[in-house]
Amino acid sequence: MIEITDTPFSPGARIDAFTKASGNAGAIASFIGRVRGEAGRVETLYLESYPGVTEAGIKAVAADAQKRWPLTDILIIHRTGTMTAGEPIVLVCTASGHRRAAFQACDFLMDYLKTEAVFWKKQTGASGETWIEPRAEDYKDNERWSK
Amino acid sequence: MIKVLYFGRLSDRAGRHEERLDLPQGVTHLSGLKNWLENSHDLGGALLDPSVKTMINQVLVHEDAALTGDEEIGFLPPVGGG
Repeated sequence: MIEITDTPFSPGARIDAFTKASGNAGAIASFIGRVRGEAGRVETLYLESYPGVTEAGIKAVAADAQKRWPLTDILIIHRTGTMTAGEPIVLVCTASGHRRAAFQACDFLMDYLKTEAVFWKKQTGASGETWIEPRAEDYKDNERWSK
Repeated sequence: MIKVLYFGRLSDRAGRHEERLDLPQGVTHLSGLKNWLENSHDLGGALLDPSVKTMINQVLVHEDAALTGDEEIGFLPPVGGG
């Protein structure tokens, strides 16, 4: 399930529901990404998506993950709109028979979400507003999964 | 009417996220529309920057596509991930 939402969500409740719905899967991996609170640097983070296009891209990479690893289920929740330090931006959950597949698929999905997913990100801090582009190391992380 | 969507920094530059308009007189292709928008919104070359991608009806286009006047046209600066 893929959900792009401008409403705050509770990762704990969503992980709990995902776990319950995952039946006999022996392994659930989850990752929560939050707005970093760097001593007075980022005050708010604003994320924009292209409704339809953003979901289609995430769906395609989730389908790719299903081909690479034996997953029984995937949950991706991603925020848009304005968020403040500590607020969850993204939750990825993967369910599988065994831990390795769950961990790796979760990592793989996050690398896509951090670099290639169709989002535009603006941070507002003491120095004003800045649109942010991926860091070089984010691209490097994503290259790990090249076919 | 066409629907034009500006994302990321382009929305700041254009002063809007979205607009609907009739295809301007004499504009038949994407390149013409970009030039027309550049002039009418004083975009300072932002749309012509090679890093900006264009989607027509949510599909990436790499060439100077012909327009019929009822498309959704999205202008996308490099995506930053989430």
